[in-house]
Amino acid sequence: MIMTCDQLDTLLPEFFDGTLTAEQEAAAADHLATCTDCRTVVSELEGVGSLYRTHGRLKLPNDARERIREALGLKES
Amino acid sequence: MTIAILRADAWLRTSPRAVPSDAMDNFPVTKMPTVSVALLFDRFADGVYTLGYRILGDRHLAEDVVQETFIKVMRSLDTYRGDGPIAAWLYRIGYREAITATRRRRETPLAPDEMLEAGDRPITSVEDAVLASELTRRLDAAIARLAEPLRSAFVLRDIEQLSTAEVAQTLDVSESAVKMRLARARQALRVDLKEYLA
Repeated sequence: MIMTCDQLDTLLPEFFDGTLTAEQEAAAADHLATCTDCRTVVSELEGVGSLYRTHGRLKLPNDARERIREALGLKES
Repeated sequence: MTIAILRADAWLRTSPRAVPSDAMDNFPVTKMPTVSVALLFDRFADGVYTLGYRILGDRHLAEDVVQETFIKVMRSLDTYRGDGPIAAWLYRIGYREAITATRRRRETPLAPDEMLEAGDRPITSVEDAVLASELTRRLDAAIARLAEPLRSAFVLRDIEQLSTAEVAQTLDVSESAVKMRLARARQALRVDLKEYLA
């Protein structure tokens, strides 16, 4: 199975979910081994997720955490 | 609510930290009759806050979303009989609270520049202040520029790391719709953040 750039692009959600079939996975790997443009795209898309997992998750401020815990009756005595 | 609190406290006393936090995420609600609201709060409060803040662009409204979400969790935990994983069930409540808050405000979510007002940033410590760097501001602005349906899908899948199926349950859309939203969100962010991805 030969995979084109457009076909890989269509399958990127499954690629990142790890839900490609074995045949699709092998074809994607073959394509990425020879296509610099698609390798760049995949690498950058992986980078987006990595950036946000590292820097995009917010922490509930401590004062709000304590206030809400108290309002919920969860504040430890 | 009282029963839930009593159950939670009893569960905490008898099984403190017995279940790793991540192990709860895929646990069917039906098989968790004495789940601790306190542990759910510890596990998911930051995630619900993140989702609420990304949708509303306002720290105080996001805090309200967290509180209202867990009030509803307390009220419905004893009676809920769904089959889905608890993470999707809980985020679904949080998502609805955030969307309701958006409608109540009768405004569209804040524009990116407005989201960068210092008062709206959840800075709570020196460490957080350090993290409020140029990169963090760029990430905030980029995600705020996404249309809301794309933003929620991206936050739930790529930041909170729910599965695609769980995101679909949370947003009440098909998995295909989630995949389409994710593809568009990731591509837009890739273009917006190109300089950080080399």
